[in-house]
Amino acid sequence: MIRPLIQGLALTLKHFLNPFKVVTMQYPDEKWTPYPRFRGLHELQRDENGKEKCVACGLCSTVCPAECIELEGDENKKGERFAKTYEINMLRCIFCGYCEEVCPEEAIFLRQDYELASENIKDHIYNKNKILVPLKKKK
Amino acid sequence: MSDINLKIDGKNVTATKGTNIFMAAKNNGIYIPGLCYHPKLTQYGGCRLCMVEVTERGRTRHRFSCAQPVSEGMSVKTKTSEVDKYTKSVVEYLLAHHPLDCPTCDKSGECGLQDITHDLKLSAGRFKTVRLDAPMKRDNPLLEYNTNRCILCGRCVKVCKEVEGVGAIDYQNRGIKTVIGTAFDKPLDCTFCGGCVSVCPTGSWQDRTLKFRARPWELKKTSTICTYCAVGCTVVVNTKKNEVMRITSDDDLGINEGNLCVKGKFGHEFINSSRRVKTPLMRKSGVLRPVTWEEALNHVSKRFTEIASEHGGKAIGGIGSEKCTNEDNYLFQKFCRTVLGTNNIDNISNIKSPSLNRLVNESVEYEIAAASVEEIEKADTLFFVGADVAEAHPVIGSMTRKAILANNAKLIVANARNIEFNNSAKKEIRMQYSIGTQTQLINTLSILILNGELVNYKKVETSTENFKEWYSSLKKSDMGIRKVSTLTNVSEEVIKSAAELLAKPGKCYIICGKDIEEDPSAENAIRALMDLCALINAGGSDKVSLVFSRANNNSQGVNDMGVVPDFLPGYLDINDPANRKKFEDSWRVTLSDDVSMEDSDNVFDLASKGKIKALYVMGENPIVSYQNGKKAKAAFKKADFVVVQDSFLTETAQLADVVFPASTYAEKEGTFTNMGMTVQGLNKVIEPVGESRPDWQIVCELAKKMGHPFYYISPKSIKDEIGKCVSIYEGIKNNNLKKDGSRWVASVYDGNLERDGFRWVSYDNLERDGFRWVSSEYDKYEPLKYIFEISKKRSPVIKKNRDYPFILLTGYSLRHQGTYSRNSSSLVSLASECFIEINANNARRTKIADGDMVKIESAQGKLKLKAKVTSRVPEGAVFVSEDYEWAPINDLRVNEYTNVRISKTR
Repeated sequence: MIRPLIQGLALTLKHFLNPFKVVTMQYPDEKWTPYPRFRGLHELQRDENGKEKCVACGLCSTVCPAECIELEGDENKKGERFAKTYEINMLRCIFCGYCEEVCPEEAIFLRQDYELASENIKDHIYNKNKILVPLKKKK
Repeated sequence: MSDINLKIDGKNVTATKGTNIFMAAKNNGIYIPGLCYHPKLTQYGGCRLCMVEVTERGRTRHRFSCAQPVSEGMSVKTKTSEVDKYTKSVVEYLLAHHPLDCPTCDKSGECGLQDITHDLKLSAGRFKTVRLDAPMKRDNPLLEYNTNRCILCGRCVKVCKEVEGVGAIDYQNRGIKTVIGTAFDKPLDCTFCGGCVSVCPTGSWQDRTLKFRARPWELKKTSTICTYCAVGCTVVVNTKKNEVMRITSDDDLGINEGNLCVKGKFGHEFINSSRRVKTPLMRKSGVLRPVTWEEALNHVSKRFTEIASEHGGKAIGGIGSEKCTNEDNYLFQKFCRTVLGTNNIDNISNIKSPSLNRLVNESVEYEIAAASVEEIEKADTLFFVGADVAEAHPVIGSMTRKAILANNAKLIVANARNIEFNNSAKKEIRMQYSIGTQTQLINTLSILILNGELVNYKKVETSTENFKEWYSSLKKSDMGIRKVSTLTNVSEEVIKSAAELLAKPGKCYIICGKDIEEDPSAENAIRALMDLCALINAGGSDKVSLVFSRANNNSQGVNDMGVVPDFLPGYLDINDPANRKKFEDSWRVTLSDDVSMEDSDNVFDLASKGKIKALYVMGENPIVSYQNGKKAKAAFKKADFVVVQDSFLTETAQLADVVFPASTYAEKEGTFTNMGMTVQGLNKVIEPVGESRPDWQIVCELAKKMGHPFYYISPKSIKDEIGKCVSIYEGIKNNNLKKDGSRWVASVYDGNLERDGFRWVSYDNLERDGFRWVSSEYDKYEPLKYIFEISKKRSPVIKKNRDYPFILLTGYSLRHQGTYSRNSSSLVSLASECFIEINANNARRTKIADGDMVKIESAQGKLKLKAKVTSRVPEGAVFVSEDYEWAPINDLRVNEYTNVRISKTR
């Protein structure tokens, strides 16, 4: 009974002391590649002309089970509807992806970005500047 | 009306004869889809959704439930497979063209079409058609129209025609190209009542004040009473995060059947306006600076105490508010009378027409003014005298149109101006009398009724007092109809037919307007009207009721609450020591005997004479709203210390030493009394904006600081005290206000069963189980015998002045009223300019064209306004609305007829 125990511990010790074999991911140096269907930070889309796709219909904030989305619509100069403010509270978000599913305009997607830690609690409220796809530079 | 029994979906249902199946089902909780039918509009049957299966006399057929009246023994099935198939295919066709832009449509969430689509579990349609893509029509700041979303149900067309009487929109084109639009596609030019938005089942008509800011399901809806005119409509305020987003209406609540006017529907932006006074302000080295509540209250209490001890309490004057609740006003007068010890309190409506309170009161006593406003809908004859209903009280206009449609009511309009009132009455009599001749005209009507024996002479003589003397004096002063006709400029036949119509049996309502009430000869004209009413009531078979129209939402209440120098709350004469004793007992104070009723000076007269040193103004802007603006301004400048309690920095507040920020109607509870004397309760919609507080709370704080604490915790406890102390509001309670509102006139009749000598029975000899409802059964109560009074007062004559050849008429405006509408940006952009209306003939002679700038001068001052050449104003007069605060026409006026001159300018 003692022998198998020692054998087992020896194996453990061997792996433990082996400097060439690292089991865990060395996170800051080594980045994890999320799977294609991973649900990370939201991204608000633009259409081919660079206009925001979101029309502030409010379905995402209504469907959100964690109640983390807040938005307010307004009228732009052309008289079209757009989101004046769009805020996601990432501390509340449970990454369920309902907002993506409900969106009638395909304006919001949960992307791959998972590095959401911050020292400041206020940084966790993501406003439109943070989650809107930047305009592509004209070539 | 007989009841009819039928079966709907196996359920036994009783309905009155003439009801259609749709309403019978709806009233019994059975749902039938339908988009075009609306109970307050005529039936159309255009949407084809309300198909049901009807079995009648052994035959089963399919019928549209909105177009099929119920009949005895009918059996209706709403959910058969055939009906379902039919309805589904109809909606599919509707959706084939519908743009399905629900994400961007503000209606989404409360859309009739959307709801029905969900109910029928329809998915993407089978039809592939081109979606309509016409642009949104946005030609005004309040309403927008989208033809794509329209399903052509025609509700908006009907509401515009039937309820508002405008008919600004109608169907255009034919077949597949049919759209709803204005004539020649011109920009929408209507009263902007918003009725089309309220009835539209899809998102075709939209309220632009919402402007995509919120979704219907996010909005919290609270019903409350509108703060503009005296009709007292129930509005539903939609809020999101303590901010008012829009106002909707509810067809089942209140007296207005879901009808609103432009101010009630769209004039809500002032509540969350950035111009609101949000902190107390105090004048420091000449400038108003924000201070804390503590500092402001301390300063005011210190100064009030100083002035009261130095010059006596009489040296402080108070102005109550026509916009504040009964509770605020009751507390205000109690504060002034008990804590400050002054009786120099007043309100603008009383100053404008000083005899009105007494006369209204007498009319109530004689049961002449016993009608609530919603009874107008049941009228057979309506007589608008001096009332510009379409501008001043638009919802009364809607009620009138309902009476015209339902009962074929006849209409008589008497006014010095040729006012607009769109209606479909088969018989409409117009009497455009010359200015200042209204008393003669009304008296002539009485004489014609008596001479023509249209009433039972004997009956009048027995049931009234002093009739013979009155009749003989009337005859003596009678100049004959021909002369009256030339004097009033109304033809003989018209006067005769009006007299005949008035004396005809049937319910008649006389709406006495501002042009009578605020005229210099108000007392004589109102007295003449009362005589006319009493005459027909006593000698005829049916009831004639007088409705006194008032300016603001609580103009009636502020007077009921005794914010007047001559009456204690409930119209108890202050000069009577017994009345004072009664209030001294219930307030547990001694009121000062020094009742300054001998001189006829009002608060502003006293202040400009220096007799009043301090002024305390609650929710009023006298510099603009007092009819002699110059005098009011002088009074405020002369006073040593001015405290203003208001939501905005008005012209009056700018002259104040301390400004308290007060909450608006949406931020407080309380009651308003409308012009039909119906007391209706407010609900608190949002928390007070900024540091503002409800008026009653400010008065309470001030009383506490001055060492006379009032122990009220909420408006409810003040209301309870009103229910105890104010005899006419006897028994008013929170829960009986909930649905219909209570009517104090009804309580008067209730309490007066024994017909003892005095009018209002004091509260301690009234031990009743509850408060009686708005009831028309005052048959148990016999009203006091009407005493005809021979008036000796002469009506003031219009003085002609060669330098100032025109007479200035003023009046209400549909689109504005006071400080609130002025700070509602949408209303301001809709009606940004105050016009001076000039008769076309006068305009031609003075070479003024439409749109010219006109200088209008009186002996008091001058003003520049844009001209509007119309036929609405009689020759020799000009008309300017009083309700545009930024065009202070009252600066030019005096207490009598004001003579002005006009000249073209640049």
